[in-house]
Amino acid sequence: MKRQKRLRRLGWDAVAILVFVVMVFPVFWMISTAFKPNDQIVSVNPTWFSLHPTIAHFTAAIHKPFFWDDVKNSLIIVLTTVAISIVVAFLAAIALARYRFSGRVLFIVLVIGIQMLPQAGLIIPLYVVLARYHQVNVLSGVVITYLTFVLPFCVWTLRGFLLGIPKDLEEAAMVDGSTRLGVFLKILLPLMAPGLVATSVFAFITTWNEYIFARVLLNDQARQTLTVWLSYFYGTSRHTDWGALMAASTLTAIPVVIFFLLVQRKVVFGLTAGAVRG
Amino acid sequence: MKRRSIVALLLAVVTAAAVVATTSGATKKATANTLTVWLQTDAQSGWPDVVAAANQQFQSDHPGWTVNVQYQTWGDHLQKLDTVLAAGGGSGSPDVVEMGNTETTKYMAAGAFANLSSSKGSFANSANWLSGLAKSGTYGGKLYAVPYYAGSRVVTYRTDLFSKAGITALPNSLAQYTVDARKLAAKNNKKGFSPVYIAGTDWYFAMGFVFDYGGGIATQVSGKWKGLLSSPRSIAGLNAFKNFFNAASRASKTTDETHPNPYDVYAQGLAASMIGPSWFSCCVGKQYTGVTKQFVMPGHVKGTAMPGFLGGSDLAVPVTSSNTTLAADWIKDFTSTSSEKALQAKGNIPNATNLLGNSVNERAAARSWFVPTAKHWVDVENGNILRNMLAQILTGKLTVKEAAQSASDNIASVLNQP
Amino acid sequence: MGTSRRRRRLWERAGRGSVPYLLIAPVILVIGVILGYPLYWLAKLSTEQYGLFELIRHKGEYIGLANYRSVLHDQVFWHTLLRTVVFTAVNVGLTMVLGMLMALLLVRVSTGVRLVLSSGLVLVWSMPVVVAVQIWYWMTNPENGVLNYALTELHLGNFYAHDWYATTFSQLFMVTMLIVWGALPFVVITLYAGLAQVPRDLMEAAEVDGAAPWRVFRDITLPILRPIILILTSLSIIWDFGVFTQPYLLIGQSKITAGNFLMSIYLFEEGYFKSDYGRGAAISLLMLLIVGVLSIVYVRRMVRIGVET
Repeated sequence: MKRQKRLRRLGWDAVAILVFVVMVFPVFWMISTAFKPNDQIVSVNPTWFSLHPTIAHFTAAIHKPFFWDDVKNSLIIVLTTVAISIVVAFLAAIALARYRFSGRVLFIVLVIGIQMLPQAGLIIPLYVVLARYHQVNVLSGVVITYLTFVLPFCVWTLRGFLLGIPKDLEEAAMVDGSTRLGVFLKILLPLMAPGLVATSVFAFITTWNEYIFARVLLNDQARQTLTVWLSYFYGTSRHTDWGALMAASTLTAIPVVIFFLLVQRKVVFGLTAGAVRG
Repeated sequence: MKRRSIVALLLAVVTAAAVVATTSGATKKATANTLTVWLQTDAQSGWPDVVAAANQQFQSDHPGWTVNVQYQTWGDHLQKLDTVLAAGGGSGSPDVVEMGNTETTKYMAAGAFANLSSSKGSFANSANWLSGLAKSGTYGGKLYAVPYYAGSRVVTYRTDLFSKAGITALPNSLAQYTVDARKLAAKNNKKGFSPVYIAGTDWYFAMGFVFDYGGGIATQVSGKWKGLLSSPRSIAGLNAFKNFFNAASRASKTTDETHPNPYDVYAQGLAASMIGPSWFSCCVGKQYTGVTKQFVMPGHVKGTAMPGFLGGSDLAVPVTSSNTTLAADWIKDFTSTSSEKALQAKGNIPNATNLLGNSVNERAAARSWFVPTAKHWVDVENGNILRNMLAQILTGKLTVKEAAQSASDNIASVLNQP
Repeated sequence: MGTSRRRRRLWERAGRGSVPYLLIAPVILVIGVILGYPLYWLAKLSTEQYGLFELIRHKGEYIGLANYRSVLHDQVFWHTLLRTVVFTAVNVGLTMVLGMLMALLLVRVSTGVRLVLSSGLVLVWSMPVVVAVQIWYWMTNPENGVLNYALTELHLGNFYAHDWYATTFSQLFMVTMLIVWGALPFVVITLYAGLAQVPRDLMEAAEVDGAAPWRVFRDITLPILRPIILILTSLSIIWDFGVFTQPYLLIGQSKITAGNFLMSIYLFEEGYFKSDYGRGAAISLLMLLIVGVLSIVYVRRMVRIGVET
């Protein structure tokens, strides 16, 4: 029985590796291009793996002006946004999932409605509003803008996760005499951990890769984010240095992967699925 | 009580941390005397020293003032300009903006720029500005944008392949070039090899033929735009283009000049020559850099040049700026003769005819054409009217006459919109 | 002991009234402060003639519902709408089905492989869109794309120099592949997190009873996952309906015509590129309405789930 289970698991492992290869191929292409010398990038026959890898593109990318400043700005903006939005959205999601109050449906409509707005139309008026409050060309203006778009999503998603947790668990614990806060800390939070992780990863990536609002709101290159920094690689009227762009993109992807590896360890992907007692 | 206070405490801590982290940048407020300049990233990578010199000149002429140059990218600098105009200015909004010469008319017509006519005399060489650039900075007889620099189109070619094909002298007429192209094709029958790589819908190149034969794209007759592509001369030009393309280029007939980039095709060894901006020579690949040179594209009349599209940039002062005079001063410093000469040394075409040198790029600019300075020209470009016309002509979907007539009518109706 | 519990319950009932409002207050505050004026601006502009000229002078000319009428009478609008609805359905369908399959796969593999696959998904997710489009173009271009090479080598037909961007269907097919590929990581990871909430012993008990895996999935897993699936579907509909960057960059500005518009590109071209902000605002609000209608089924179910429990 055990051996059959192990064989089956190996079979699934093989399938998963195949899926991995197919999905990751474009990323592999980006990374391998970052190491290719220029003539191999545009050659007629595509080279899968350069035999003469070069790190020239990476050095060129790091030495492009304001790289480290923009890394710092991106980290500040994104971490602040993620921290605030997870906390604030979680609280709002609890209200939606566990309480009945008038105006509830209106709030839900608001939350989902905001996400349906085409963002392109909001750029100009948003800039006008923020300019009035002197929030242009400062990181806080960008954080507030990102919060506006990320919060509804986080509320919506966390509510979904909350609804998946049966209410009787909490009620049983309360009957046993624990306080509301105790329920929160000992039962709700651990069960919500996977959902919180998934939502925070989404919030991280969305804000990390956001471009147009950062572009419009931040003028000084020392204040810009990494995505804006990246746009200088392909924003000239001359030729685009593909090697440098691929190297730069690889660099911007690294913090995301690090963030994911840090949070996933705590919760789901390290453990076997579903450690909940029924 | 405990729960509520913990919630409040959490929020307070997180908010406080965020406020501290994000607004620390705001305290470094710009000093009251800062001139904000928006230049494109080409300047940052290409000639930062020219910018620095202009800033230095400005700052010494106006003590107490600093220049803050913020580099923009071509993709969204107009979107940023729109937001600044909508907000009516405000701190940090630009006093000088760089505009592409095909982008200015729409903004001039809307009144986005300050009138610089009174300062015209103070700009160096203003009497001799290149007409293609000067036209793009003037609207209703008033000056709104100052020419900055230009670029034309040249032929970049492989000296080794040309000599191997027995071409001893560079072609000085379209007919001669066509003959040479056939020689090159005979000697290089690799699959996909183009004697002259030209993308099918490269209208920047194709329209040169139209102007070479005396035709045009559109002209204003008593305030109303009239399409000129259907005129006999324009059609002669389009026919000449079709013949040249068929003899010389194996590129796709329906894709544009960036899919793929001509210099990539050249670097792969699949082109003996290509037509494009002079900076194309940067990216021909290590192995061909030594055998790459440039010459001026010949017209159909022996000894003349084919009119080349004059691309370039102008500098304007948005109406939202509160430092118009100082902005004009900065532009004066940045387009001074010494500044223009420095730009010229970096391979650009300076903004005045009396400064022109003898480089291939500048010789090509002697005969140039420009798009109609109409408020709605950008709509014509965006609607791909010219590109579609070329694709129809080259694929044979329509005859030259039919395609030209349809495009001509189309352009007129777009330009005549209110 | 008795009095304190009574006191606590009394106080809870009193506090309960204001607690939910306190909890949602920050969200409402942020959204109200930042989006209040923009929403008003959009609504107001949609009833005005407002171009670049008016933008500079901060004053538009009131024209009532003329913008809406012009859009609704535009044939291109209706064709684009139909095309976008079909496009959205295909994208969302593919994303949810493939996403579910991959999430189930993640459950069944060993821990090391799970980490590898999920990290790979995060890598995919973290690629900047502009770069992803460029890579996709390199992989699929007619001259030397690996896609043509691979398909021909696998003897699936002769794809030498096949131009994947020649017809509208082919162009949108390529865009769909790119979008689904980019959307899968989020869906898979979220579904997997949802699967993690399914009580393991319930599933094991059912398996011991001899239930087939798909029965277990249908009767135990699916009901628990329902809220999350509904959320992901509604979000996917919203995002795929309004997607802009991928189609605009992949098809390329020179190949975009009224014949292959998607709604967001129509909005961009008819509104913002022409600097006709009034019309752009009208189209934005129409899009909002349409997306609302398209996702209403899922949204209503989501709202009701909360009420039932």
